[in-house]
Amino acid sequence: MKGKSALAIFVSKATGFLSRKLGTGAGTQLPGRIALRIDPQLARKLSGELEYGTVLITGTNGKTTTANILANILRISGYKPIHNRSGANLMHGVTTALSSSASLSGKLEGNIGIFEIDEATLPQAVVQLTPRLVVITNLFRDQLDRYGELESLAAKMNKGLREISQGDLLLNADDPLVATLGEGTSLNISYFGISDDRAGGGNLQHAADSKNCRSCGEPLAFHRVYYAHMGNYHCEYCGVSRPELTFSANMLEIKGIQETRLTMEGCGSPLRLTLKIPGFYNVYNALAAAGAACILRLDRDTIVKGIEEYSTVFGRAEWIEAEGRKIFLVLSKNPAGFNEVIRTISSDGKPDKVLLMALNDRVADGTDVSWIWDVDFENLVPHTGGIIATGIRAEDMALRMKYAGAPTHSIAIEKKFDRALKRALQAVPPGGVIYALTTYTATLELRKVMTRLGYVKGYWEE
Amino acid sequence: MTPILRICHLYPEMMNIYGDRGNIITLAQRCRWRGWDVEVSGISVGETIEPDYYDLYFMGGGQDREQMLVCEDLRSKKAQAIHQAVELKACFLTICGGYQLFGKYFITYTGEELPGIEVFDAWTVGGEKRFIGNVVAQAITTDGTTRTLVGFENHSGRTYLGPGSAPLARVKVGYGNNGEDGFEGCRYGNAFGTYLHGSLLPKNPWLADELILLALKRRYKLEELPPLDDTLELLAQRAAVRRSRMRRKR
Repeated sequence: MKGKSALAIFVSKATGFLSRKLGTGAGTQLPGRIALRIDPQLARKLSGELEYGTVLITGTNGKTTTANILANILRISGYKPIHNRSGANLMHGVTTALSSSASLSGKLEGNIGIFEIDEATLPQAVVQLTPRLVVITNLFRDQLDRYGELESLAAKMNKGLREISQGDLLLNADDPLVATLGEGTSLNISYFGISDDRAGGGNLQHAADSKNCRSCGEPLAFHRVYYAHMGNYHCEYCGVSRPELTFSANMLEIKGIQETRLTMEGCGSPLRLTLKIPGFYNVYNALAAAGAACILRLDRDTIVKGIEEYSTVFGRAEWIEAEGRKIFLVLSKNPAGFNEVIRTISSDGKPDKVLLMALNDRVADGTDVSWIWDVDFENLVPHTGGIIATGIRAEDMALRMKYAGAPTHSIAIEKKFDRALKRALQAVPPGGVIYALTTYTATLELRKVMTRLGYVKGYWEE
Repeated sequence: MTPILRICHLYPEMMNIYGDRGNIITLAQRCRWRGWDVEVSGISVGETIEPDYYDLYFMGGGQDREQMLVCEDLRSKKAQAIHQAVELKACFLTICGGYQLFGKYFITYTGEELPGIEVFDAWTVGGEKRFIGNVVAQAITTDGTTRTLVGFENHSGRTYLGPGSAPLARVKVGYGNNGEDGFEGCRYGNAFGTYLHGSLLPKNPWLADELILLALKRRYKLEELPPLDDTLELLAQRAAVRRSRMRRKR
């Protein structure tokens, strides 16, 4: 690399080092931000050095988990993925990941890029990174204050995909909007989805987003709904239906928050997969990762192994031991994701759960907290004994739970994360479980408190 | 006789962006906590309304595509009944897209004209910049009492009021109807329109109760509502006011 790029890499590495040393945070965005100031082409140059190219994963929910599972399969297969691990999914985060694994001469420690990309950043990312494969998990109206409307976001993503001259595109066929994102592109399109008539239900949840036909605007008929607005659908008016599945999941067995099993078809003979991560939404994540791995022509055994060995890293859903109690920490950032979390944690049927609910309204969380009124907390209240609301908008969360039917004496507001955590630990007997449901920046802050108390390692150390 | 509040939720599946459903939840709970019954009916595209049956009508905001689909149906299938209900002094709360379609017309930024059903003497013109953020406003009341309204606005339409509709509030933080005249929302008789999401009613319990009272007093002898404990509601309102200061500094 020439002067400017080398300087950018150096400054980026130094910033990351200092940020970790000073404990100012994870240093996952700032180094890349500074590096791009010095050399705006740095991500393009460095990604061009990747021997096996770049895979981009985008969508509202599940991109981190999908990317992590795929990276895990790649590692087992002997690849060296470079990967923006901690939800740092704007160009800054990608640049940080690339420059931190580059030498000053621009030589990379890895040979394939697995990057999760913010939906609105996709058009910019495809131009900068020329991916060989793009995976799109789903689209929900998360953080509309940042993106504008779902329609215009989808149009921008489609326009971005038309810019790529060749490569693969893996789409979630069960999401009616995502299924159309390949239109007019020159990409080789594959679809993943669930084809299990015993799983899921027949009705759309309240928070469902894309329920009208993309072609004629009439309501879609859902033969089966698996998760939020995802399912097997067709339009009775114009005949449009879910695309034929390249990769499908069937014979689903969901075992509470512990384990899920499924059979995947489409990658040679059927593969029986076991997931150690809970919930229906993770079936989609695993299917997306396995489909991507199949498109990348990875070995079938490593796909099975990579998925089975995968347990969640940082924030999406993890078990943490603290003072003889267990904390089930799960990122809950939009109505569809939250409803799925509620369905999952309610499935054990046990009453009197203690909830630690953290609501922040920083830019990364979405500055509009209205979305909490679209979550079906009414389904959670019957399983709840006590609620500790925390975060910048703790009062809003507490109020939502009151209107969902929780008695006011069972709701406490504790705006500071450390005090809220302490209170939750006191509310649960030894051996008991705290359910911590937290928005994005609240997850980071809560985890920081738990790092300080020694319950977890900082995620940059993992 | 135990009062029953009959709510008509217009287009619940299509006009349901930004948590507007919280308003229905709030109206229903505040009646139930007083020992009253509530009946919520969702009325969608193609369905007709019995104007005399409902006490309170609610319509939220939607995405552009949904709003277009709804616009046609509202005019052809619902407008006449809605005008009758307005004359019968039923109560209306319309938010964002619903508010716009209850006006005379909406000319989008791309130049399309969506005709409204003309409950409000108001019209809307699409603007380039989207108004997004926390809003604090002071309600304009007839008896001179001070009433705070908090919410979250997210709209590119600029709404202007004619003499036939009164503004609902004066904006203290945020843009409101159009970012020019300092007004937020409007009122014609018992029909209210506003840009405030939040949801609006949970953190503004006085408005929720005013709507319930207006809606019920046509059928029942009610001068005022039995008070509820609004400690949590007011805490949340104060937190929203504090948070809005971030926007003022920008």
